[in-house]
Amino acid sequence: MSEEFKYGGKEYWRSLDQLAETPEFKEFLHREFPDHAWELDNGMSRRNFLSLMGASVAMAGLAGCRRPVEKILPYVTQPEEVVPGVAQHYATTMPLGMSAYGVVVETHEGRPTKIEGNPLHPSTLGSANTIMQASILGLYDPDRSQRIQQKGNDREWIDFVSFWRDLYQRFQQNKGQGLAVLSESFSSPTQFKLTAAFRAQFPNAKFAAWEPISDENIFDGIKNAAGNYYRPVYHFEKARVILSLDSDFLQTESENVSATRRFAEGRRLVTEKDTMNRLYAVESNFSLTGGMADHRLRMAMRHIGPFAVALTRELKNLGLAIDIETPLNYPEDFFDKKWLNVLARDLLQSQGQSLIVAGRRQPPYVHELALVINQALGNSGQSVTYHKMTDAELPSTAAFTSLVDSMKRGEISTLIILGGNPAYNAPADFDFPEALKKNEHVIRLGSYHDETSQVSEWHIPQTDYLESWWDARAVDGTPSVMQPMIEPLYGGHSAIEVLNLIVTGRDQRGYDIVRERWAEILKGKAFEIEWQRILHDGLETSGALPAETIALNHSAVNAEIRRAVPAFKPLGVTDMEIAFAASPALYDGRFANIGWLQELPDSITKITWDNPALLSRRTADELGIKSGDLVQLQWQGKTLETAVWILPGHADYSITLPLGYGRESLGRIGNGVGFNTYNLRQSAALHFADGLTIRNTGRTYKLSTTQDHQSMEGRPFVREGTLEEYRQRPNFAAEMVKLPLIESIFTEHKYDKGYQWGMAIDLNTCTGCNACTIACQSENNIPIVGKEQVSRGREMHWIRNDRYFVGDTDTPEMVHQPVACQHCENAPCETVCPVAATVHDAEGLNVMTYNRCIGTRYCSNNCPYKVRRFNFFNYTNKLPQTIKMAQNPEVTVRSRGVMEKCTFCVQRITHAKAKAKLEGRGVHDGDVVTACQQTCPAQAIVFGDINDPNSRVSQIKKQNRNYQILAELNTKPRNSYLARIRNPHPELENYKPVTG
Amino acid sequence: MSSNGSDPGRLYIDEPPLIAGNQTFASVTDKISRIAERKVSKFWYLAITITSAMTGLLLVSIGYLVWEGIGIWGVMIPVGWGWAIVNFVFWVGIGHAGTLISAILHLLRQHWRTSINRFAEAMTLFAVVCALIFPGVHVGRVWVAYWLAPVPNQMGLWPNFRSPLLWDFFAVGTYFTASLLFWYTGLIPDLATLRDRAVGRIRKIILGIFALGWRGGNRQWKHYELAYLILAGISTPLVLSVHSVVSTDFAISILPGWHSTIFPPYFVAGAIFSGFAMVVTLGIIARQSFHLEDYITINHLEKMAKIMMVTGMMVGYAYMIEFFMAWYSGNEYEAFTYLNRAFGPYAWAYWIMFTCNVIVPQIYWIKKYRTSLPILFVTSILINVGMWFERFVIVISSLANDFMPSSWGYYRPTFWDISTFIGSFGLFLTLFLLFARYVPIIAMSEVKGILPAAGIHHHGDDLSAPGGKK
Repeated sequence: MSEEFKYGGKEYWRSLDQLAETPEFKEFLHREFPDHAWELDNGMSRRNFLSLMGASVAMAGLAGCRRPVEKILPYVTQPEEVVPGVAQHYATTMPLGMSAYGVVVETHEGRPTKIEGNPLHPSTLGSANTIMQASILGLYDPDRSQRIQQKGNDREWIDFVSFWRDLYQRFQQNKGQGLAVLSESFSSPTQFKLTAAFRAQFPNAKFAAWEPISDENIFDGIKNAAGNYYRPVYHFEKARVILSLDSDFLQTESENVSATRRFAEGRRLVTEKDTMNRLYAVESNFSLTGGMADHRLRMAMRHIGPFAVALTRELKNLGLAIDIETPLNYPEDFFDKKWLNVLARDLLQSQGQSLIVAGRRQPPYVHELALVINQALGNSGQSVTYHKMTDAELPSTAAFTSLVDSMKRGEISTLIILGGNPAYNAPADFDFPEALKKNEHVIRLGSYHDETSQVSEWHIPQTDYLESWWDARAVDGTPSVMQPMIEPLYGGHSAIEVLNLIVTGRDQRGYDIVRERWAEILKGKAFEIEWQRILHDGLETSGALPAETIALNHSAVNAEIRRAVPAFKPLGVTDMEIAFAASPALYDGRFANIGWLQELPDSITKITWDNPALLSRRTADELGIKSGDLVQLQWQGKTLETAVWILPGHADYSITLPLGYGRESLGRIGNGVGFNTYNLRQSAALHFADGLTIRNTGRTYKLSTTQDHQSMEGRPFVREGTLEEYRQRPNFAAEMVKLPLIESIFTEHKYDKGYQWGMAIDLNTCTGCNACTIACQSENNIPIVGKEQVSRGREMHWIRNDRYFVGDTDTPEMVHQPVACQHCENAPCETVCPVAATVHDAEGLNVMTYNRCIGTRYCSNNCPYKVRRFNFFNYTNKLPQTIKMAQNPEVTVRSRGVMEKCTFCVQRITHAKAKAKLEGRGVHDGDVVTACQQTCPAQAIVFGDINDPNSRVSQIKKQNRNYQILAELNTKPRNSYLARIRNPHPELENYKPVTG
Repeated sequence: MSSNGSDPGRLYIDEPPLIAGNQTFASVTDKISRIAERKVSKFWYLAITITSAMTGLLLVSIGYLVWEGIGIWGVMIPVGWGWAIVNFVFWVGIGHAGTLISAILHLLRQHWRTSINRFAEAMTLFAVVCALIFPGVHVGRVWVAYWLAPVPNQMGLWPNFRSPLLWDFFAVGTYFTASLLFWYTGLIPDLATLRDRAVGRIRKIILGIFALGWRGGNRQWKHYELAYLILAGISTPLVLSVHSVVSTDFAISILPGWHSTIFPPYFVAGAIFSGFAMVVTLGIIARQSFHLEDYITINHLEKMAKIMMVTGMMVGYAYMIEFFMAWYSGNEYEAFTYLNRAFGPYAWAYWIMFTCNVIVPQIYWIKKYRTSLPILFVTSILINVGMWFERFVIVISSLANDFMPSSWGYYRPTFWDISTFIGSFGLFLTLFLLFARYVPIIAMSEVKGILPAAGIHHHGDDLSAPGGKK
């Protein structure tokens, strides 16, 4: 990354932005619209439409009505390497908690527009998840704070530097007495070095790292059992039998991208002779992992630990050498005996090829048991490896608690908060905002002027990861570099820059700080050459740490189990279990201002823009509540009013509260969306506890879903069979629907010349994680429309994930099916368009001509797949200027009144063809990769030329699981699906386990 | 009914007189002309104030629609067409009776039509005007809706002639043009009568312009009759084609519930059904308001009631045969769609439709009821309620639950859907009130032709030619 990014129109947008930010203009707005000034650039609300029309006169210079008039400033000096119109790609690293996700960022003339996984990085392997994809909007978020403030007054960076230098003198003298830093946990060589320097410089100071969602329990469990901190790396591809103990490793646990890739590897079938892994899941909430499971046992959170104990005991009974006590006072038949027995035998038969994974919400002893069983089964070193923690500041609730206690006692005079948002997400019993008031100085580095900054003396804008220098270590220790894609949009400083100032009193640039550290890492090598290579690759490819051999400390494990395994206690509607979960969309809430994630339908509930509490049908029936009711939850003296949603397959008498919503001081997207479940979360039980009572308020709450109907109505959209059935009838998927013999009365177009594009989606590996939906949204400039519009059925996603439940509401199975335009050769949409706005091209694409479309919507009515999306309003003209910068310049932004749909990423096809032509060759298989295919962590989507019999997509379409949906309508879709195969244990097939 | 070509006097042997009260040419002229000449009643002013306000609501609704976008309506994915298309088909259906009465009944020499054809034709025109609004404004980009027309352009782009929407555009446009010409041709002799009676210069000039110099000479009558006959011949297939083509908007699609070969005759029967119901409704109002008991007799109303009964049973047959075909086809999507109509989320609409269209007309089996004004009035309105719901059921319930359950939705109209519909009634009634005020609402020249007085020349060949032979 070099200076060239200082060009690229930065001044241009900045001046526009500054115009909108001038005091005169703001004052005008507040005078005219005192309460709703923020709505001026709010893309979401139309409420004050008419009154705001008046303001549009003032806005005329910023954005026109239908065709915005913009000034384009050419480069004064053309930067090297930048060819206008040609995208460039740079590698960097996205941090999230202790994880580091290597990404490749597509930039256009210096504007980052799209994020993909870095194929070289062990945590992404070239794929990305929803959050990584959507983080591009975090960079451009116009609600990120833009000014340094002290007590609400604007300040300059230099003011802060001199302010700190005064304090610095004082703390140098007293060795940091009264000084404290609260940071997020991280795994970064540079920041760890600075932290170490801080501790050395200020031995009396406190340093705590904490995050509301972390792997602390996993680390603590491993530390207790193995005597040292290790990070586990799961090699799902090597496991034939996998047991998940409340671990949603496919979606909400850390490292879910590589986990999905590896899990899919072990599940992929080519012919009926292949084998695949078998997944058992024990969980309370219905997760994606539970949806992929061949056997799923629903169970309240508190029983999952005892289940692990019971499993250990069963394995011991079956002869596995485990030297661990298994005390358990649960009723004999509480855990389904047959299920437990079959699972134990299955694990035993796959020694060295099985894997037990426990979820981060389970207490440490469960992780210890998982470790013990994995050791005993010989899985350690095979399907799971353990790597040393280096350069890592672990999350510690104990350290955080001690810090807050010190604050409350008034022992802290200056608190520095690096990132995080404790005023919002610290345990409710800490009463963090009150504790802050006891400090003389509070310095907050944060991306938003949020809940924490509002109660801090100093607020310093934090740079986004796409505009800062940093570094990180991946889960296996591979070091990678974060490099800026663009100069900081709103000014701002990174955590290491601030920490460096705190430690050294010197104001250094992040680039220099990181370089200095890497000079140490690369000591003995040709630094500049190596550094360039690392910046290019994004990481030190050979930097992974070796797998360690674990020596178990049996007595420590026994002691922990004796201490921690709970006594049996039945749950009921008057004494329910409360469980907190990371939001699959917003994580811990830090992404709450990203519209794509807010509007992304939850993989399981299909709810957008909300986080209702989830419970089972039986529980709801006993409580007399239904989906959409507002209830009051009471737990440990705290109350919360929230909507509820009945989730088939959820454990009884347990309620899952997704975190991350209910933000009050964030921005135009996130404010006031959903319920702040942190208000109930307390340090005694960060993950789950019992003793919850629920009271129905009698009121209801509107929830917006994108899929109201949960059943497939027996229609053959998702076709699935068991592995055994597949072996007996390899063509079962195609045979499920008898296609009528259809002969055309005229000679049909053959589509046998040139490239013929087609796609195949493997439902056996697709988990339903939605990464494709966000990738498509990012690539194709798809707008968000807001909760109200979603409830009216107007979401715009070009590729949607249909989710169906199969079976009864207690123990249903879940299937997912991504559906985008099927590019039918006999497209029903094409014949009915009166103006020929949607037509076929010679390569088999069903193409939309936006500027020919008059918007009759007939094409959508006649589309049996209902994949077409209509611009009912002008969803894009009110986008903030900065968000417009995130848009892909190669894709038309659609205006109001036109239809749109999946194009098979025609811009990428065109690019590949142009490139091939320049090189004097044809397009090779793999040259065209659609956005959904590129990001799919399961690699379930394959695209290519079906006219080339050797292309991957042709090969896949030849597989016997291949089928097309609604082919009986003679639409001849170019998309096809590979049937889903389940791999149940023969003894558990169609078996309904009983629990409790 | 007597066969044609017979002595008009024979009509009175087996039929009650078509025009009651021993009318003469002079009394007819006087009675009908006076409606258009006398001072306007307070009632008329009150009525047009209300209907104009409703029309204003229509204009506001359309204005806001064009300004803000189609999203102000309840349309969504999967229900891409909502009330706008329901209203369109409803109004086109209403617009069927007029031309049917004027053209087909003219060709079939049904002389009773003369009392009602003028306002029925007017009603047709106004209904088609209302109908044309909806497809015009329901598109996403109203300002380019003209691309539906085959306008030569620099891109050399034609509309897609395979699309039923285009056929629709031509069919309704042709129908409107033909109906307007037909109506105006019929008006010429009456306008001349009004011109001759007019006091005041301006009125004379205006009426004179519209009367096109009509003097009532034999030669004029000869040409006139021939033109009228030709127009009747042109209009007759249009009556059948326009709603058949409208039905292809649905039948050509592959959507279960739309994709059906029964649609053209079924739609035409339904259109005649609803059109006659509207003629009865308006006829009764006109009869009572302007004391036209001698002209619109119970006999007329009874004949229309019989037509409603027949067409009502046709649509009833169609409803039932759809169920049979859904079962007989063995197609699960088809079968589901019809069960879903009757028992799914839109069952309420289906049973309103079924009750109003199939059960209500059965009351006409009893002569006492089909000759009772209050019963006719109420049932005719109920029939149009039912026919509106028929279109609602077809358009919306088919779309809401189609092939993929994941995309199913439930359509709800918004304020603007309702206001636009109410506004279209406002426009319709406003135009009708203006018509009743300024134009003879009964075809005087034609009525005179079927008076006994017209038969004294014993030419007797052609009752529709009151001038008789040369």
